[in-house]
Amino acid sequence: MITPDPNQQSLQDEIIALERRLLEAKSRLNVNGVDRPLSLTESSNGALHTLLLLADSALPLGSFAFSSGLESYLAHHRPSPPSASQVPSFHRFLHLSLSSLASTALPYTLAAYRHPELINDLDNDFDASTPCTVARRASVAQGRALLSVWDRSFKSHYASSALSNNSNVEIDASIAFQDLLRNPPPGPPESQPNAHLAPLWGLLTRILGLPLHESAYLFLFSHVRTVTSAAVRASVLGPYQAQAVLASGELREKIQALVGEMWDVKVEDAGLSVPVMDLWVGRHEMLYSRIFNS
Amino acid sequence: MSSPFAPSSSKPGYGTIDLALLQPSTPVLRTLSYQYPLKLIAPSPLFVSSPSSSDSTTPTLIHTVFLLTYGGGILAADIINLRVSLAPTTRLILLTQGSTKIFKAPSRDVLSAQRMSVSLGPGAALVYLPDPVQPFANSVFEQAQVYEVPSLGSEGEGEGASLCVCDWVSRGRGARGENWDFWKYGSRNEVWAVGTGEGQKGRRLLLRDNVVLDAKGGAGTGSVGIAARMDGLGVFGTLILRGPVFEALGKYFMDEFGRLPRIGARMWDEHAEEVDVPDEDIRRKRRQKQEVRDGLLWTAASVRGFVLVKFGAREVEGARMWLSSMLKAEGSVERNFGERALLCLK
Repeated sequence: MITPDPNQQSLQDEIIALERRLLEAKSRLNVNGVDRPLSLTESSNGALHTLLLLADSALPLGSFAFSSGLESYLAHHRPSPPSASQVPSFHRFLHLSLSSLASTALPYTLAAYRHPELINDLDNDFDASTPCTVARRASVAQGRALLSVWDRSFKSHYASSALSNNSNVEIDASIAFQDLLRNPPPGPPESQPNAHLAPLWGLLTRILGLPLHESAYLFLFSHVRTVTSAAVRASVLGPYQAQAVLASGELREKIQALVGEMWDVKVEDAGLSVPVMDLWVGRHEMLYSRIFNS
Repeated sequence: MSSPFAPSSSKPGYGTIDLALLQPSTPVLRTLSYQYPLKLIAPSPLFVSSPSSSDSTTPTLIHTVFLLTYGGGILAADIINLRVSLAPTTRLILLTQGSTKIFKAPSRDVLSAQRMSVSLGPGAALVYLPDPVQPFANSVFEQAQVYEVPSLGSEGEGEGASLCVCDWVSRGRGARGENWDFWKYGSRNEVWAVGTGEGQKGRRLLLRDNVVLDAKGGAGTGSVGIAARMDGLGVFGTLILRGPVFEALGKYFMDEFGRLPRIGARMWDEHAEEVDVPDEDIRRKRRQKQEVRDGLLWTAASVRGFVLVKFGAREVEGARMWLSSMLKAEGSVERNFGERALLCLK
């Protein structure tokens, strides 16, 4: 649409006038003593702080010990001249590994967050759905570590504030689950609690007050960070390349898309979208030399 | 199911196999009913002469049922519902005649499905070694196999049921250049422990193996086609072993998995003379060389009372040969169920 000049001029004048009014209003607001950093309400500040805690690669989950199948994948896909770069292999693997984690584990994280009281069943069902020894070992080790971090470091600082909010169903669930873990009921091994990472991540991020979407996003992001860091230590990527992988918009979109895709998937329908992943992860035990536990 | 008559269901695709025990130890197929497009054929049961020696009450009459479909495949929108029940201590072989072909669907929304629920009494044993499912290009198929086994007591007492079931899928009609070109394939295997005595709470999930290959996916998976996700494999499968009857077989798979050559190790003995080596070792070497030729990868895990074997190979024949050589070398399936059990692996 073409506007005649006088009209356009008047519109521009109006915009300038409005902007001036906006600035004035803002400055008056500051004068009135609200000159604080933005959005520091109690809850969102808490969530940011928690997010930083959980996103820290120094969070003692022992994740550095696991490559989630990367090491085995690379051993199964040796470059044809041995000197060729393994970076394309790494990218293929990362893509598959992330999809696989999202389709198998993310529904359990979401479900445990939404229904903390079901943690015991979710833990059992996740265990039943993870028939690969190596993957189970990695998941249980990190799940137990997360529970320890909660118990020893976070609990005293978070439990009291959650209790005051009368929203203690998740705290009760975590206490009951820890009791079960300490005093397992008699019975065959398949009826014992395991403490897998995916459901516990959901439960504990809820206790810590992280919004569900952030919890899910961070769950996937942490996996990418772990695999990428494993690639650095396996001399596949350089540290700058690794940061570039983590920073890439492609990764951001993919995690976002996966969270959206799995948002409403029931745990019964969680499944292997990359069945070969089980072969690679399972065959990790057969590597002649290995630097990782998975 | 105490009625001696087949349920008068006229729903298409429904079927029932009811294997009962005529005291003291004669298993009989009390019900064998089916509706189009499902077809069940039960050849006369065979006596197997050497059952597990320790237990003299083990029935030696082995029933076999072939699961067929009219036209040798499942058409778009076909839904098959099969209910199977095995009375305590009975044994059943379920087989197919040739791969289950999944024909193409007119659109993505036209699902075809096969659901099988099997309930096993204490001490019962099932061998289900079908041919692979072969989903054609543009087909949409979901199958679910749900097994219910009696739950053991808190000290593991009580007699469990035994399972040896295989679920495998191929990339389609390789000869026509199909390479995982279907729209959707999903296969779910679940084993549930069901309380039998009083004081035992309901159902508990023991194992779930759910494979979902969806060409659409979201942005997350869709950008990688199914073929790329399968990494050059032409067939992928899962073998589930459980229970006293297949304990030895499960142990065999675990032992053989432990003896696979290490990846990345130098083969110093590649050209070494094979002298004074037991037959078993020679057979194993031969099998392992064949695995390499067929691009066969496998892994076995012993978890939650199961041995779960996953395998993939470039071609169906390679996988078939491998599975058959493993089961024959160990021998207990043939001994306990007769040669017929391995018919689909020939």
